[in-house]
Amino acid sequence: MRKHDEPIATPDDEAFAKRARALFEQSVDELDANTQSRLNRGRQAALAELDKSGPLTIRTGQWVPAAGVAAAAVVAVVLWKGNVPDDPIAPPSSATDFEILMAEDSFEMLEDLEFYAWIDLETEPVDADDNVG
Amino acid sequence: MTACATGYAVSCTREDHAGVRTLRREQELNRFLAEVEKRALRIAEISIRDRDEAMDLVQDSMIKLARKYADRSPDEWTPLFYRILQNGVRDWHRRQTVRNRVMVWFGRSTDKDSDFDPIAAAPDPAGRTPDEQLQSREAMQSLESAITELPARQREAFMLRTFEGLDVAGTASAMGCSEGSVKTHYSRAVHSLRATLGEHWQ
Repeated sequence: MRKHDEPIATPDDEAFAKRARALFEQSVDELDANTQSRLNRGRQAALAELDKSGPLTIRTGQWVPAAGVAAAAVVAVVLWKGNVPDDPIAPPSSATDFEILMAEDSFEMLEDLEFYAWIDLETEPVDADDNVG
Repeated sequence: MTACATGYAVSCTREDHAGVRTLRREQELNRFLAEVEKRALRIAEISIRDRDEAMDLVQDSMIKLARKYADRSPDEWTPLFYRILQNGVRDWHRRQTVRNRVMVWFGRSTDKDSDFDPIAAAPDPAGRTPDEQLQSREAMQSLESAITELPARQREAFMLRTFEGLDVAGTASAMGCSEGSVKTHYSRAVHSLRATLGEHWQ
């Protein structure tokens, strides 16, 4: 049974719709620069809503746990080496460590943490000799 | 190689992946809105015959889509966006109806067309206008006037199907009705517009 409301599009209907669509697209293309600028600003305002609903928190806070892990890793390496300096004149500065860790290239360093730990071990005797004098 | 791809993914957390997903989603949404915004503005403008009001409606719709439905699949964004926009248009008409009643009570004119100037509302021409462009604009203005005379549901179906190019299912989703209703509204709209505009228009 055919639905009584089922419309049948004639070729004339399709031609009409095609012309209407073409005219509409032309009117869209002719939108002035000011209108397009306002649309752009509205779009940016909409995209800003994404930041308000969570991503901003993620963006600002994403390195905090990473920095914590990095700092813990450095402490672990120092303790593992058993190389806590005895010299009270030049104590290790945790603030300096933190600045180094927060430097942009330090995150690349963390990828090769074992390598740098090995380098540190290799240079340890020289440092020890320097401290003796 | 990123930190996430190494065995020492110290900084690679769930938040990182969420941030990447969010950035990608933001880019997708930006592309979607940039692609749809101009047509949406014209559709809203034809519906309410006021560009500034239409601009507000489109901006509100973009914000609502970003706020509520950004997590949805991009395939769903078009019908969702137009559903939000159509709801905004309907609310606008309801407010206008109330406003007109108040104006009647105060004895003011309720002729909503009295201060509508189709020439002023037409898009700004970019430079000199050839005769063909002028004729096209006049044809479009005639079409717009005829569209505004349609019942609301026919108008919605026609513009979503013809101007935005939504299929029947997408139009039904945007309008919040059945696909059969969309077909009926659209067919009646086309026949009504053709009768109003006449054969010479085509």
